[in-house]
Amino acid sequence: MTDAPAPYDGPLPYDAPAHGDDTPSPGSPPEPTLDALVAAGFDVDALSEEQHEVLRTLTPEELALLVDIRGRLDAAAPEVQAHADVAGGALF
Amino acid sequence: MNPPASLALRTTLTPTTPVLRAAVASLWRPEGLRQRYPRYLAAMHTLVRASVPLLERTAARCAELEGPAARRLATYCARHAEEERGHDLWLLDDLAAAGARPDVVPHPVAVELAGAQYYRTEHEHPVTLLGYIAVLEGNAPGPRLADRLAATTGLPEGAFRTLRAHAELDGGHVDDLYRVLDELPLTPVLRTAVSVSALHTANLLTRLFLSLAAADPGGQP
Repeated sequence: MTDAPAPYDGPLPYDAPAHGDDTPSPGSPPEPTLDALVAAGFDVDALSEEQHEVLRTLTPEELALLVDIRGRLDAAAPEVQAHADVAGGALF
Repeated sequence: MNPPASLALRTTLTPTTPVLRAAVASLWRPEGLRQRYPRYLAAMHTLVRASVPLLERTAARCAELEGPAARRLATYCARHAEEERGHDLWLLDDLAAAGARPDVVPHPVAVELAGAQYYRTEHEHPVTLLGYIAVLEGNAPGPRLADRLAATTGLPEGAFRTLRAHAELDGGHVDDLYRVLDELPLTPVLRTAVSVSALHTANLLTRLFLSLAAADPGGQP
């Protein structure tokens, strides 16, 4: 633990960057993002081109979370995986 | 040109839906559901009791910012806090009807879910709470779920009030949230912050439901 100052203190104004700047992280060209989602097991073929455009611009942080979520299903028991097409949630 | 923030967030969350709902469906499998359902209620109580305080804290953080966008978000949070107020008490009633009590030790993943939002509101940006709410409101119970669970468990009708009420309430809530999101002039970085908050929430909720589904219920229906 150091006393180094945080990148910013307190909430940011709406026109200020949250992570330093708006520049995309290096090493995250847009098209490989879709490939990474497919490789993780997501079916992106059913999505529209407009949705593909959104997914192409995912940041590394977003992509990592999506892949992690998918991994939870893959790691779950077969009876859980069998429910993947069941509709309905349970949240408030 | 960027798509509307609502379209971007809905699209980003689309791949998470089958995973989260598979975890939920495994929670509702008939074997042991009578014992598992009260544990679900207790975890939801842990989560829902934080909703109004989180919304009120977020509104207060917005008041520390300047500009119409902060005021718009604060207004939404204050209104939504009133919509959600008392729902934790519904869950206590449901638990009592099911012959159960709230958790003395809150489920750790439920604590992580709410705790992450306290962090984001305090130290990142209050708008990130919209990502959390989008996932919660976007995965409301289906209209026939309460009937199905009541028939399977044999628990009294009073144990399903919260499920039944939210099947009716939350459809309009999520539309309201996405309308507010589109009204806010967010930078790309803040849009990403909302999205990361939402994905983090979906990830933790999947963990929570898989954890509840995996707990040994004693093998009784």
